[in-house]
Amino acid sequence: MRNRATTPLSKPKIRQSWSKYNLFNLQRLRNPPTGSKTFFQQKWTAKSMARAYHGEQVRESQWARMFSRRIRSVVPMSPARLAQDDGSGMSAGRGAGVEGTKDFPRLTPFTQMTFAPLERRLDVAIFRAMFASSARQARQFVVHGAVTVNGKQMRYPGYLLNPGDLFQVDPERVMYATGAPKDKHERREGRVARRKSAESQETEAKEEGAAEESGEKKDAESEELGQQRENDDPRETLKVLLAQAKNIMAGSKDVLPAKKKQELRGFQKAVKRVLSRSDSSTVLADNLESQFSELITLLKAKPAEKKDAKRSKREQSSEDAKNVSESTSESATASESQPGEALTEAFRQAAQNPEEEVDTSELTEDEFDVLKRALVQMRDNPIDSTKPYATPWRPRDYMSAFAFIPRYLEVNHNICAAVYLRHPVARPGSSEVPTPFGEPVGTAAFAWYLRRR
Amino acid sequence: MPPRVQNQLVTNSLLPYLSSSSTPTSTISKIPTQCSSSSIPSTSRRTCRPFSSTVASQTKLRNEMFTWLSSEGTALKNHVPGSTNYLTQFKERDEQPAGRTRPFPLNQNFISESILSEELRNEIYDRVVNQKKSVRAVSVDLGVDMRRVGAVVRLVELEKRQKQQGKSLALPYARAIHEMVPTTPLYEDTRDNRSRPHESINDLPVHKLTDPQIFYPVSESRQFNRVDAGRVFSAAPALENKQVTNTAADPAEVISSITQNPSHIEKVGKGAAEQQVLQPADARIPHPHLIAHERFRQSNPNEYREIYKAYSERLRQEETAEKERKRLAKERREQQQTKVQPESSRFEFRFKDVVVSKETTGTDGRGSKAPGIRYGVPSYERKKGQVKIPTRVEV
Amino acid sequence: MVVRIRLARFGNKHQPFYNIVVAQARSARNSKPLEVIGTYNPVPQRPTNLSDEEARSARPYKEVSLDRSRAKYWIGVGAQPSDGVWRLLNLAGIGDGRSKAEN
Repeated sequence: MRNRATTPLSKPKIRQSWSKYNLFNLQRLRNPPTGSKTFFQQKWTAKSMARAYHGEQVRESQWARMFSRRIRSVVPMSPARLAQDDGSGMSAGRGAGVEGTKDFPRLTPFTQMTFAPLERRLDVAIFRAMFASSARQARQFVVHGAVTVNGKQMRYPGYLLNPGDLFQVDPERVMYATGAPKDKHERREGRVARRKSAESQETEAKEEGAAEESGEKKDAESEELGQQRENDDPRETLKVLLAQAKNIMAGSKDVLPAKKKQELRGFQKAVKRVLSRSDSSTVLADNLESQFSELITLLKAKPAEKKDAKRSKREQSSEDAKNVSESTSESATASESQPGEALTEAFRQAAQNPEEEVDTSELTEDEFDVLKRALVQMRDNPIDSTKPYATPWRPRDYMSAFAFIPRYLEVNHNICAAVYLRHPVARPGSSEVPTPFGEPVGTAAFAWYLRRR
Repeated sequence: MPPRVQNQLVTNSLLPYLSSSSTPTSTISKIPTQCSSSSIPSTSRRTCRPFSSTVASQTKLRNEMFTWLSSEGTALKNHVPGSTNYLTQFKERDEQPAGRTRPFPLNQNFISESILSEELRNEIYDRVVNQKKSVRAVSVDLGVDMRRVGAVVRLVELEKRQKQQGKSLALPYARAIHEMVPTTPLYEDTRDNRSRPHESINDLPVHKLTDPQIFYPVSESRQFNRVDAGRVFSAAPALENKQVTNTAADPAEVISSITQNPSHIEKVGKGAAEQQVLQPADARIPHPHLIAHERFRQSNPNEYREIYKAYSERLRQEETAEKERKRLAKERREQQQTKVQPESSRFEFRFKDVVVSKETTGTDGRGSKAPGIRYGVPSYERKKGQVKIPTRVEV
Repeated sequence: MVVRIRLARFGNKHQPFYNIVVAQARSARNSKPLEVIGTYNPVPQRPTNLSDEEARSARPYKEVSLDRSRAKYWIGVGAQPSDGVWRLLNLAGIGDGRSKAEN
């Protein structure tokens, strides 16, 4: 199906999309003038406006068949009110109710619910759950087989969800849809990384000796680095680490993403450096959980305990260097898949050891927290040039202006799954169908589909 | 090829309601320009590039857009952690609090409602799965709809399984969403979750029968209550006096007898038009036991322990009734079915008992209750326009 | 004339569905029978709403609906089940448990 859901600036139409064009169009949207228009013209305009947003991918005849003039609505009841009487007060006297007990409830916006049947569609529900940046993209996800309903792949975007259906989208696609796009340099990085990985595979297959050699080289380099830092006080390094962590977590928006990334890289390197000086050789530094627990033990350990275990350190550092030199993606994916339990476990253990608290007393709780958050973020949101979105992941621009999740969906964003709880309903004062148009447009569009024209 | 007629000044001739904010040209003033532009195309062109013959359409609007994006729109570019960031709050400066929850400036009726926070979700899961509390009790305690409680349990379960399997999660994405969208926290004191619920848990669906307006004269000496109204809407005869007095004596008992045996509700109408009598709101809300609880509390205030005891007793009754109902339904289903698992086959055979008799087949042998595909009914399976999209997916 | 209990194929292409019918042996397969006493869906269905342990041991099932009393009656008056129906009736416990060839 050709994508007709463009967001032109002349003859603007509001679409189910998060694009900035759409935002601009939404910003200058006004209610259509009705003064000099016939009723038919009003209905026609309202219908064409509303249909450009609601189910633009659905053919008109198909939608006309789906339309239902009966609109679901609910009234929230208060048990306390119901307990007070049996309702006879409302019909007392001559049927108008007891004097003085009247309260006017807010009106139910029924006509804002005209397009409620379309919200049942799978593609629209995916867009509403914020798994895709437009209904068209959601549709593509379904057609390309990235969506399951109740655990089974569903390739029909027109599938009408039943209450209780659980639908799930592939998290990678969701991250791609909602994340900021890569810029020119990042795309290039991705290409380079891909080429490198392909090459390294080849060389590995051919000869392993060369790889070893390069590893040794890097080993030497890192050794130098280590020697440079050897005489540093561990507290100093800790302070530096902390400063970096704070810098990252500050998250000021005016910092360019590229700069932020540099900082992140620097932090990652610093963590690795600290780890490389650790005594225990058992910890493999490619896994961030173990990295983290190692860091904690390092923080706890007394500075005097810096025994010289040259052999183990060498191993450690060489391993480290390899990890750095090789694709970060590997470690990133490996660590991403790990659950966060180990990390929190390590922290709990760290907190429960009061006797060593003396040494780390310089670190306040806040600082600890900052450090932890920085590390967690690094683990969850790694730099990975193989991904199709800008890494570390950040939400795309102008996303927050469209960020809402209607009540008829229960969404778990961690796994990108949602349950369609019930059909959308209207209630006094609010309707659950998200529509950018006001009551005048909704009413006129509803009147159009009543087919009394 | 002659240069195309530019439609810059007549852009919004079809949809004039979308006037750009910076150039408020009225619709009336456009009509003459349209005529002039069609007759003398060169005059209508923008004067920014007078000698260029290429059509520079849209540049003005694009410029406008980018100016807006770089001035007012900058605030919308990135999200503000912990609060919403909608267009409305910039459009209407005087009413701030309402604008914070309305994503669409023109739609007064759509509110961006809060979602469950991570802690509240985990608490729900913990209470249902680990503490073995019923969905009904958790729903009342935390102010979350029962269907939502069920969904949360399913989703958290799924999340755990995915973590176990080592599948990737979208953690940064989830964090960003929870920063953008309002969330309902899990309060320190969980009683606050009850007093400030996530959503209304006692939603009464508006029944189809209540749509028509009915003029129904009642004598002034008679009390006309919710039960009577339901009977009038479903065209059932009015209750007799004895029944009325019974209901008035112990309303809680009557309501619980209805809600715990929904199949025993009185029916009216004949044949295909047979339907249940519309019950009062007391019986149709999701938590009818709360009404009895409120009534008890209003009659004996200050006896907190008694109230709590009665409440838990009522809850327990409700749960046992529900369980019993489920068990009976399952039994009935099992009874109608015999399962045979032959040794020689990979499959199981499920035999369902049906009845072939004059009642089911009808006198002409075409009754709809009889088993089997009907004779003389064409299959439209391969005809044009048949929708093949599945209508349901079983778990 | 022999009366048979046999299957009449309905359903669609690649999607068989049978009526279990009582009909004259020489009549066409899908012609109107004496009586329809049940249905048989040979497409195995996956059982739903199961817990993890149940799902592991569960077999796919085939659905049969049958009026036992009518089946017994027709056999009693000498109707001859076809091979497939004979097997189904045996599974339902109406036949004598032996295969048709043994009889």
